Amino acid sequence: MRLGWRWAALKNGLMDEAAYRTEFFIQILSSAAVPAAVQIVLWYALFKVGGNTEVAGWGYQELIHYTLVSTLFTQIRGGDHDFELQEMIRTGGLSNYLLRPASVIQFVYLRGVGAKLLIASMGLVLGSLVLAWLGMAPTRMPGAMLLAVLGNIIHYQISAALATTAFLWEEAYSVLMVKNMIVALLSGETIPLNMFPESLQWLWKATPFYLFVFGPTQYALGNWSNDEFFYQLGVAGIWIVAGWLMIRVSWGFGMKRYLSLGG
Amino acid sequence: MTSLTQNSPIIRVHQISRSFSSVKKTEGLKGALGLLLKPERQTHEALKKVSFEIESGAFVGLIGANGAGKTTLLKILSGLIPPTSGEAQVLGVNPFERPMEFRRSISLVMGQKAQLWWDLPAVDAFDLLRAIYSIPMKTYKERLGTLSTLLDVERLLTTQIRRLSLGERMKMELIGALLHWPKVIFLDEPTIGLDVLAAHKLREFLKEFNQREKATIILTSHNMDDIERLCSRVLILRSGEMIYDGKPAGLIKEDERRLRVRLMQNPTSEELSETTGIAVSCIERETAEEDVSEGGILFTAKQNQLVHVLQSLMSRYQVIDMGIQEQSLENVIQRFFEAGK
Repeated sequence: MRLGWRWAALKNGLMDEAAYRTEFFIQILSSAAVPAAVQIVLWYALFKVGGNTEVAGWGYQELIHYTLVSTLFTQIRGGDHDFELQEMIRTGGLSNYLLRPASVIQFVYLRGVGAKLLIASMGLVLGSLVLAWLGMAPTRMPGAMLLAVLGNIIHYQISAALATTAFLWEEAYSVLMVKNMIVALLSGETIPLNMFPESLQWLWKATPFYLFVFGPTQYALGNWSNDEFFYQLGVAGIWIVAGWLMIRVSWGFGMKRYLSLGG
Repeated sequence: MTSLTQNSPIIRVHQISRSFSSVKKTEGLKGALGLLLKPERQTHEALKKVSFEIESGAFVGLIGANGAGKTTLLKILSGLIPPTSGEAQVLGVNPFERPMEFRRSISLVMGQKAQLWWDLPAVDAFDLLRAIYSIPMKTYKERLGTLSTLLDVERLLTTQIRRLSLGERMKMELIGALLHWPKVIFLDEPTIGLDVLAAHKLREFLKEFNQREKATIILTSHNMDDIERLCSRVLILRSGEMIYDGKPAGLIKEDERRLRVRLMQNPTSEELSETTGIAVSCIERETAEEDVSEGGILFTAKQNQLVHVLQSLMSRYQVIDMGIQEQSLENVIQRFFEAGK
């Protein structure tokens, strides 16, 4: 595999982000602070106001820890490049990339993921400090971050496959919106997934979304053993292969219907 | 890619057609609801059995009115969309297969579509293209130097693309499209929106690039100056059909002139034809028949007929003024388009 253009695309995406530094940091802050604040208020209401000592096996302190650590991984779970792909298909902007000697799917991913990787490296340092402060093992953070990055890849693969609905349907945007809602529910960024009722546990276990936030958080907090972690790395690998196949099939099908509108 | 012998055509197009199907949208709420319940599809034939061949190093103009099928043809030749029927070959391959070597050898510039990244300075975008096309650094620097000098944009290379004027952006788009030294270049209205000076500069550049690098260029433009000054051959499309393939000069009949007169009277075309002996189809009015003294009447005739036409008109009507119009390519093309309406 030729790394040259891939590295250049990654670097170029980072430069693009750096063009709007304030927007970049405000986005991180707002997407992290608001959900975390809502969760903390919710836990406070349940435990301190409501008088509960445990909810679905979780204590107040544990849930606060979950919220703090999961907020880090939520920042890595996915960018907007799936929306960019469907917009490119819809408007004909894809034509700019199809004639270049580079894979359009990889190119869009690498240009968009630069910012996430930057956050991941900052999160690695910050997360290790948070774990040390909470009295946990900071050595788990690199593994947890690796799982979160693999989750980011899986998220993009699923999104790239879903974006191909734009080859057939002008309103494919809504498909990605629905996907984002499902991811918000089943990734563990809102609540720990094992809080789901027993009868609904299969819901999150059947999708790879738990690998985006819940999985990395569980490992970082010491709730998953090393064996469980390596098993989940294998699961992530299988999903990546499945995602690659989904992309091959859906884009092969879609390209036959591409109209290259505009111009 | 299959190898091409020196004299074999670099582009071969045989009987290609392309149709597009879309849902017919009618106006108003009723139309929108109808669309939900019973969508009605319509098919538009953008290209109809078009055939031609282009030799290596040629500079070919592709012209036609809006919707004639020019851009569709370029999209097929560059491999963005397949034809519905027929066969196209560019550099010895079916363009829609888009093999990597083919992508490295072609370039498509669309005047109405930005291909560079708006928030980055041009030089960063070019560096990314260098990596994509695996251009060695030394070659890249030489080419960037040559292209930016030819187009006079060296001082703008570090400016964000979105801060450039339309003409400057277009020049940057061209540099981005040529950095990999393509063998075949498709240019879709590259001078659109440019001022006279910028368009002239761009034309000079394209001419020099074509002559120096022997690149095959297909250019679409509504600006007949572009075609006249650059192209040794023109292809004219009308409603998806190829109606002319030849030298631009071949469109202008050497001994044909256009006589423009304004009369005090208001005769019909039939009366004028009877008086002058010129066929009704060769008599045109610039305005509606009732406004004849405002606009003029145009007679297309052979040079040796002009004196007779003028004498006949003067013997029967009062002539306000008269003149002979030069036959420009623009006039001729305009008549081609009008004939198809």
